[in-house]
Amino acid sequence: MTEGGKKAPVEGVTSTLTQVIAKVLLVPTLMIAVATLFKGYAQTGDGFSAGVIAALAIVLQYLAFGREVVERYLPVQGLGTLSWLGLLLALGVAAVGLFRGDALFTHYPAPGAEVIHIGTVEVITAVLFDVGIFLLVFGYAVGAVRIIAGVIQRQESGEPEEEAVYHDTEERLARREERA
Amino acid sequence: MLAVVAAPVAALSGSLRPGLAAPVGAGIAGLAAVATLVGWLSGGGAVDVAWAPSLDLRFAIELDGLAALYSLLATGIGFAVLVYSSRYLPLHLEHEREATGTSDPGVRFYFFILLFMGSMVGLAMAQDLILVFVFWDLTAIASYYLIGFDRHKEESRASALMALLVTGITAVLLLIGALVFYAAYGTFSIPELVELTEPGALVTLAGGLIAVAGLAKSAQVPFQFWLPRAMAAPTPVSAYLHSAAMVAAGVLLIGRVYPLLQKSEVLLNALLVIGLLSIAVGGIIALTRNVMKQLLAYSTISQYGYVVFMFGLGGEYGAMAASFYVIAHALSKSALFLTAGAVTEATHETEISRIGGLARRMPLLAAASGAAAAGLAALPLTIGFFKDELLFDAALERGAPFAGLALLAAVLTLAYTWRFWSGVFLGEARGHAERVPWALVAPVAVLGSLVLVGGILVEPFAALARDAGAASFDAPVEVEPAYHLEASPENLLALATYAIGALVILSRPIWIGAARAFARAGELAGPERAYNAALRGLNRFSDFIHTIEVRDLRGRVATILVPSGILVGLGILATPSGDVYRVGEVTGDDVPLVLALAAAAIATVAIIFTKKHVTLVLVLSSAGFATAVAFAFFGAPDVALVAILIETLITLLVLGTLKLIPRKVLESGARIPVRQVWRKGSVAAVAGATAFVVAWGTLSQPSAVEGGAAARLTELAPEAHANDVVTVILADFRALDTIGEVTVVALVLLGVATLLFRGRLP
Repeated sequence: MTEGGKKAPVEGVTSTLTQVIAKVLLVPTLMIAVATLFKGYAQTGDGFSAGVIAALAIVLQYLAFGREVVERYLPVQGLGTLSWLGLLLALGVAAVGLFRGDALFTHYPAPGAEVIHIGTVEVITAVLFDVGIFLLVFGYAVGAVRIIAGVIQRQESGEPEEEAVYHDTEERLARREERA
Repeated sequence: MLAVVAAPVAALSGSLRPGLAAPVGAGIAGLAAVATLVGWLSGGGAVDVAWAPSLDLRFAIELDGLAALYSLLATGIGFAVLVYSSRYLPLHLEHEREATGTSDPGVRFYFFILLFMGSMVGLAMAQDLILVFVFWDLTAIASYYLIGFDRHKEESRASALMALLVTGITAVLLLIGALVFYAAYGTFSIPELVELTEPGALVTLAGGLIAVAGLAKSAQVPFQFWLPRAMAAPTPVSAYLHSAAMVAAGVLLIGRVYPLLQKSEVLLNALLVIGLLSIAVGGIIALTRNVMKQLLAYSTISQYGYVVFMFGLGGEYGAMAASFYVIAHALSKSALFLTAGAVTEATHETEISRIGGLARRMPLLAAASGAAAAGLAALPLTIGFFKDELLFDAALERGAPFAGLALLAAVLTLAYTWRFWSGVFLGEARGHAERVPWALVAPVAVLGSLVLVGGILVEPFAALARDAGAASFDAPVEVEPAYHLEASPENLLALATYAIGALVILSRPIWIGAARAFARAGELAGPERAYNAALRGLNRFSDFIHTIEVRDLRGRVATILVPSGILVGLGILATPSGDVYRVGEVTGDDVPLVLALAAAAIATVAIIFTKKHVTLVLVLSSAGFATAVAFAFFGAPDVALVAILIETLITLLVLGTLKLIPRKVLESGARIPVRQVWRKGSVAAVAGATAFVVAWGTLSQPSAVEGGAAARLTELAPEAHANDVVTVILADFRALDTIGEVTVVALVLLGVATLLFRGRLP
């Protein structure tokens, strides 16, 4: 179902059912992603899987509604930049140890020390590191989907810029066949 | 310290209102100059913070004489240059706009020039070799953007890259030198190293590496070629680059580590030779140049040759004279560069032979730059006279032959300076000349009058140079430049300079052919050709690797799988394997696991028979899902979760990508020639067999699963405030691996954006 929708994100191909489910699932999926992120230290899951889950929530919207609708109603603009913010955050957490005279990637509080709990969330720098990973993966996945969706749309509206890509691919293929 | 924060402030105000960047930047530069001056007069100060104690890195800065000198140059001349640019840059951008039709507010100019200034000041004050390296590279980065400011011009970009490569690659030598010192003495701090080091091979090696970095930045032979190319930059940048930043940074570094260098006789002699070569090469080529900025560029090479020469001469005269020379040269040279820019603005010409006789139409500019030129040529009543007096003093202290060489050097300077000034301002009037705004003339006038003031009241400048010399020499310096109206050797040498200089100027028709031949020979066989050849070679090598490795996706996967498969296979064959491989038994509990694995195996085999790309992707992903299920039964929920999520995402992304490829291409790509089937089959066989044997061997070892590392991990996890071992491994125990892996993810996104979206991040 979903794959079919991806191939042709045109009105009419995706069913109303898909759209309703996608709409209903959006917020719960994001919530589950955040839960997976913060409960990662106690249960299955971590920043990486949380990032993918959150990204899938967005991707589902793209599949169900198509690029134009999603970009009109959801604030997805610039989410790709999040990946670099996440990387910076992770690197920043990694560097904290340096400034305090410890090795890289020393997390605080120290092993065995008292930790502040907020519900199941433990306030330690490793969680912050995981948040960085989450942002990075989320940003990557949404960014890649946005790029592909954008190019598909440009291609369908027939803008000349994409011609270059075709030529290149065809040329490369032709050359390869010559060699073979 | 003010200068360090200047760049962001200027950029911020510039992004709010483009017109605001220039005055704010100039104001900050002026304030920073005053602050440096006050700081120096009140005896300096020092900050020393250990910012990364576990690596022995310290943020150690001190405002000593040397720091004061270069900071004053960087901020003071920076101020003049910024005032000049506030008028020049709009004109420059106007020309560019007419040429290309693009509009550009030019705010980044102020950002980078202030970044340049800030890192120069930081470099001047840094007392820690790693800190020096950081600021050193910051200046390189800033200069890259400034030289390549006109980014639509191929020439600008190539010049910027050349400057970055030449100074950046040699900067690595600075880092290596610093690490050698650290390995031997356990500190990066320059003052501590000065106390600890003993003369010997190690000091020669490490000091030599650092000196090479300095020489490359100062555009000394054989690295001189990047500097004339860097003239592609807008004129204010050239002026700044040559007099107070970048090129000055090279001699600053040499001055900073001079206490280390002077422990090695070899290094001092090397400096002497390189300095002399640079004087000769730069001076002779400068005599042949016709473009104003080119002439000045070669003269800079020659002038910094003097400074290096004087450092090579050694002694307190050498150290002090070198510092004094830097001041005198910076004032004169920046004024001359700004003159060249103003003249070009007025006449729209860049070549000396096409302009002339401007003295009548631009009297103030002519007088101001005349003073600056006189300063460069070391005429009396200018600060330049003392620079040559000190040069002769330092050379005489070393011996008569050196005095002779110094005399020749001074003659060359006189000759090309005369050529510049007389060519522009004297002779018959050629071409037209427009009025230039006051902001283009005033900085020249101020710098020119400073040159004259220095000729009468030399004491303030000398005091600064003495302080700087003391920092370089690591001992107090007692040198007093002054006029002595007597037949002292220095005065006689100065007179000889004027006489021979006049002769050289008059006999130009005789020697110009030889000088041109020399310059031509340099173009044909000089180090620039080596640079170009190296660059081309590297490019070709990279293309070669590229065609081997990434011709297509299959080939790329094969280049990874086959060599690693063969290597691992050889390793397995080489190790004795008695009962390493055991066939376990399958019980009733394992049925779900076996079913899942069977599904994965069937899907994998089915891949061979697929014809269409879409089917291929779906079958492949079903194999992945089946494996994920197997992981779930195997008791690895974290792995299963990630596998399922990733499999979903990848399937969607690949399907989306397939949509981008035209149907025709996909169909023709689906027909795979027979030979390729065999090739693919053998690659798959090698990879599969290796993976199978490795997995089998690992799973046959029960100890790997129970006890040992696994048990230890489970014990440690609660210590690290976690219950989930997998997460704690990823985020804590092996966080460095994680960072490496996710960096790849971020870079992949950048790659996708570059290929499909012109590099814009979505």
